[in-house]
Amino acid sequence: MGMELGKYKTCVSARSTDKEIVAKAQDGGIVTQLFAFALEQGIIDGAIVTGLGDRPWKPRPFIATTREELLTSRGTKYNVSPNVAWIKEATRSFGLDKVGIVGTPCQMQAVRKVQLYPIGMRDVPDKIALAVGIFCMENFLYKSIQQLVEDHAGQKMQSVKKMTIGKGKFSVYTERGNVVALPLKITEKYEQAGCHVCLDYVANLSDVSTGSVGSPDGWSTVFVRTKKGDHIWSKAIAAGCFETKPIEEVKPGLELVTKLAHEKIHKNEIYLNKRASYGVGKGLRNPYI
Amino acid sequence: MYLYSDMNNPMRNEAIQLSKVVEISPTTRHEGHSKLVLKVNDSGIVERGDWLSITPVRGVEKLAIGKTMEQVPKIASRVCGICPIAHTLAAIESMEASIKCEVPKDAHLLRVILQCANRLHSIALHNVLILPDLYIPGTDTKINPFTKEEPVRTVAKRIQRIREIGQTIGEIAGGEAIHPSNPRVGGMYRNVTEHAMWKMYDLAKEGLVLAHEQMEFMIAVIRNFQKRDWTEIGGQQIPIPKTLGYHNQGYMATDPIYGSSSLDEHPTWNPARWIETRPWDWYMGQVEINYEDPTYPVGGTTKVGTKAWPQIEACTGVPTYDGQPVEVGPRARLTMFKNYDEKGTIGQHIARQMEYPDCLYSIIKCLDILNPNGKVLADNIPQGDGSFGWAANEAPRGTDVHLARVKDGRVQWFEMLVPTTWNFPTASRALVGAPWQLAEMVIRGYDPCVSCATHMIVVDEDNRIVAQKLMQ
Amino acid sequence: MATEKSATIPSDVKMEKKAEVSKKEEKSVSNKIKAGHVHLSGCTGCLVALADNYQGLFKLLDDYVDWVYDLTLADVRHIPEMDVALVEGSVCIQDHESVEDIKTTRNKSKIVVAVGGCACYGNITRFARGGQHNQPQHESYVPIGDLIDVDVYIPGCAPTPQQIRNVCVMAYLLLMGTEDQKKLAANYLKPLMNLAKRGTTACFCDLMTEVINQGLCMGCGTCAAACPVRAITHEWGKPQGQRDLCIKCGACYSQCPRSWYSFDVMNEFEGIMEIIDGAMK
Ligand SMILES: Cc1cc2nc3c(=O)[nH]c(=O)nc-3n(C[C@H](O)[C@H](O)[C@H](O)COP(=O)(O)OP(=O)(O)OC[C@H]3O[C@@H](n4cnc5c(N)ncnc54)[C@H](O)[C@@H]3O)c2cc1C
Ligand code: SF4
Ligand code: SF4
Ligand code: SF4
Ligand code: SF4
Repeated sequence: MGMELGKYKTCVSARSTDKEIVAKAQDGGIVTQLFAFALEQGIIDGAIVTGLGDRPWKPRPFIATTREELLTSRGTKYNVSPNVAWIKEATRSFGLDKVGIVGTPCQMQAVRKVQLYPIGMRDVPDKIALAVGIFCMENFLYKSIQQLVEDHAGQKMQSVKKMTIGKGKFSVYTERGNVVALPLKITEKYEQAGCHVCLDYVANLSDVSTGSVGSPDGWSTVFVRTKKGDHIWSKAIAAGCFETKPIEEVKPGLELVTKLAHEKIHKNEIYLNKRASYGVGKGLRNPYI
Repeated sequence: MYLYSDMNNPMRNEAIQLSKVVEISPTTRHEGHSKLVLKVNDSGIVERGDWLSITPVRGVEKLAIGKTMEQVPKIASRVCGICPIAHTLAAIESMEASIKCEVPKDAHLLRVILQCANRLHSIALHNVLILPDLYIPGTDTKINPFTKEEPVRTVAKRIQRIREIGQTIGEIAGGEAIHPSNPRVGGMYRNVTEHAMWKMYDLAKEGLVLAHEQMEFMIAVIRNFQKRDWTEIGGQQIPIPKTLGYHNQGYMATDPIYGSSSLDEHPTWNPARWIETRPWDWYMGQVEINYEDPTYPVGGTTKVGTKAWPQIEACTGVPTYDGQPVEVGPRARLTMFKNYDEKGTIGQHIARQMEYPDCLYSIIKCLDILNPNGKVLADNIPQGDGSFGWAANEAPRGTDVHLARVKDGRVQWFEMLVPTTWNFPTASRALVGAPWQLAEMVIRGYDPCVSCATHMIVVDEDNRIVAQKLMQ
Repeated sequence: MATEKSATIPSDVKMEKKAEVSKKEEKSVSNKIKAGHVHLSGCTGCLVALADNYQGLFKLLDDYVDWVYDLTLADVRHIPEMDVALVEGSVCIQDHESVEDIKTTRNKSKIVVAVGGCACYGNITRFARGGQHNQPQHESYVPIGDLIDVDVYIPGCAPTPQQIRNVCVMAYLLLMGTEDQKKLAANYLKPLMNLAKRGTTACFCDLMTEVINQGLCMGCGTCAAACPVRAITHEWGKPQGQRDLCIKCGACYSQCPRSWYSFDVMNEFEGIMEIIDGAMK
């Protein structure tokens, strides 16, 4: 195990045992199931998740405080959702003491910086009860996704049922059964700029992180990382929320996760180096110290 | 009152030289920078006291001009971190008064909750500031609120819990505990959820019990002090006059809890009765310090030979109501609305403690009628035509009046008559008759927050009072 | 002179303990650091933030910090020698006393911490332009870093109780801790020391020029949550700053994970949080 997978206590392949959750989940319904369980147990009293906004596939971060609300957030929206924007308000007009939050690796980094350096985040640090990270290779702006779906893939945003990125392809599934897979060469140009300096693939700083890579279809790869994460995950397993398989026994397994993580980080490290001499005797800023 | 021409009057300078002049600078255990210049007689009794702010003037009233009506209250909030709620609300409501915008009922309720939460924390904080002046009953031991020893630690913990309850309720209703972010022109950015409402309710219920306990404790400690003949200062026993802090000025308050504005059907404050004099007219001319006491805690008084010139050093104007300084604050509120009649520093301290429970009763009352689904922002927010509007807010330390003119969404004119500014001249008068060593104790009775007490004068070029013109 | 005994003794005041209540400020214990609060042109909100550690304030004062100077909470009138000076507010350069105070503070302190937007960046005093009675000449306010070298920055308005607490605990470990603790504290404080070196201006514009324009923003939303005046929203995933509302406190930029980010510290977040929690127990 290299550093690219971060610290973790356990890694398994898992799937929610709740049929309703799995029905519309992106992968194994790990995120929704974990929040639903934590909510029911009083481990969190609300979770910041991504629902749908005022346009098809436009994300809208919101604070879910019931299972019904959580269910409306299932599925991946491949464009930027500023979830952390709610992290303080959750503790204010929502009155939450135990906040759950889901986000990409960069958002998990943001959450931890909020906790260790709470510069503009009074009374927030000790109220983060569960931070669930999702693996992330890259993200897009809304118009980029629209161009990919409507121009390159030739589908209407409204009729898209699901989008996935995996097995080297960006795939669009429509309600009427169309499937268009674009090679990642095409999507590359549209990637969000900030993603090119990103050095984390599997949300190393989350309590629990999950993604599709490494596990069979309909299953998720899950890293349990912190004491908090371990505690909640164990309780959820004991309560029968998930069926699991040892990660060593599933295909393609951790090897692929490690490979992709390594590729992402390596590529972006090279880019970060290039930035240092982007101009003539002048470079672009490197945020990492 | 001295006039400008008096400066060259030999009689006046002579009078100054006859009394001993002692200066305490800076004063401690209150917010901001201020000092005391005291003329005392041979027995050390204050004959004339000038208490003045020496906090640099950030000039918020002037920098406000031309800025948006949304931004100015955010800046105004930051003149004082102890009653920022009052400044935020008074500033916002003065803008609303100018543009004639009524806010929805639930927005108003959230503001009242925020107001009471801030007052609760502020009274508790002030307890910490005055406890070192007071004694553990039955002993000659003054109270150090930070000691680990019991019984003080239990009290100190209770004070912090009360503050925590106040600040947390304020944070929920107002977005931030110190400079609130939720209030805005036209109402509030967000209503609270039902969950948040119950959380505030639980906190208020807990706070009510603690506030009652704390009130009783403080009153007992203050009454104990009142029975003493002397207090120890710098190793000496200083006699405590029974009339400590008495003055003959009047009181001004606009509401027991919240405030008033020019939009009200029956406003309880009248700008026509407000006149502002310059510190130049009010404070002493140049004096030389000719008495010093190196044993005065901590570090002694100002060195003999130092010059003081209160007239030009004072950083505030001197607002008066019907031509006289008035006292504002807890005692003023109790006197005006509840027939409270105890005078002096003791009366003031007692009055403040008596405000404890009502902070929480009022929060609970508001929560009972708050609708978490109600709208909190006015449908229509006019941008203003330059009309005059004012709003008074009953800050922990007293009436905080902001006056504004807004045109096309921008502030044309802005004025802040903050509590401590009203109290400066009144407190100065209340010093007379006290041993000079007790002067700081008298001003602490006003719980001054000096940073905010800096505003411009409103006498125009022709020396007419702007307020009168405003009413025309 | 005899003291009259009180007739009403509050129920929770236990008389037998009276002798133990110390009369004077407690004598400094050698294993605490000496710290204080220097108030310049600020609003005291920064100090209230420190006090808003509630019970934690007692823990800090009991075990780590000898509170040697603070006009509001203590009775000391003149700036003494300090290990750590927490400075609140900017400096009015037309006010001689303020200028002297900040110079004295620098000369007498090992570590100077600029606490809050005013001390770090000027905050609302950046808008000052004088002309107001009774001191119309008070027109120029500068962050303390324009007059002295500052070691550590805590931006924000108000700064948060937790950030002030973390800096106090880390300063204690830096000065009093074991070798390992010293290293940890140095790592933790480094970004805040870099901020102090970076400059004395702040605004929403920093996110534009240093993050978005530099191709670093990834739309996490943190800046919007950090802003104390709700000047930032997200439009189509990216921050929109209402610059007419911004008060120049610097919270958004320094809270943004793409302004600065230290893997050394962040990868150990769980352990560091435990250390801080442990210290406050
Ligand atoms: C931009 C992006 C890129 C990703 N790239 C990879 C990848 O390369 N490899 C991989 O294995 N997995 C990747 N994932 C994760 C994967 O798509 C699933 O989100 C993850 O496996 C969780 O599935 P689930 O069934 O457990 O979650 P569900 O139960 O379906 O819940 C999904 C959760 O994701 C949240 N969410 C949806 N969209 C966003 C968004 N834009 N930003 C933040 N949160 C969001 C929702 O709030 C919801 O809580 C990516 C996800 C995103 C958002
Ligand atoms: S690639 Fe990195 S920066 Fe981009 S969205 Fe994913 S985690 Fe964030
Ligand atoms: S930073 Fe904010 S809280 Fe601190 S002094 Fe300045 S205005 Fe007040
Ligand atoms: S905090 Fe930084 S990275 Fe996140 S949205 Fe704001 S500017 Fe972008
Ligand atoms: S945008 Fe907000 S957080 Fe950023 S500097 Fe301005 S006021 Fe501070």
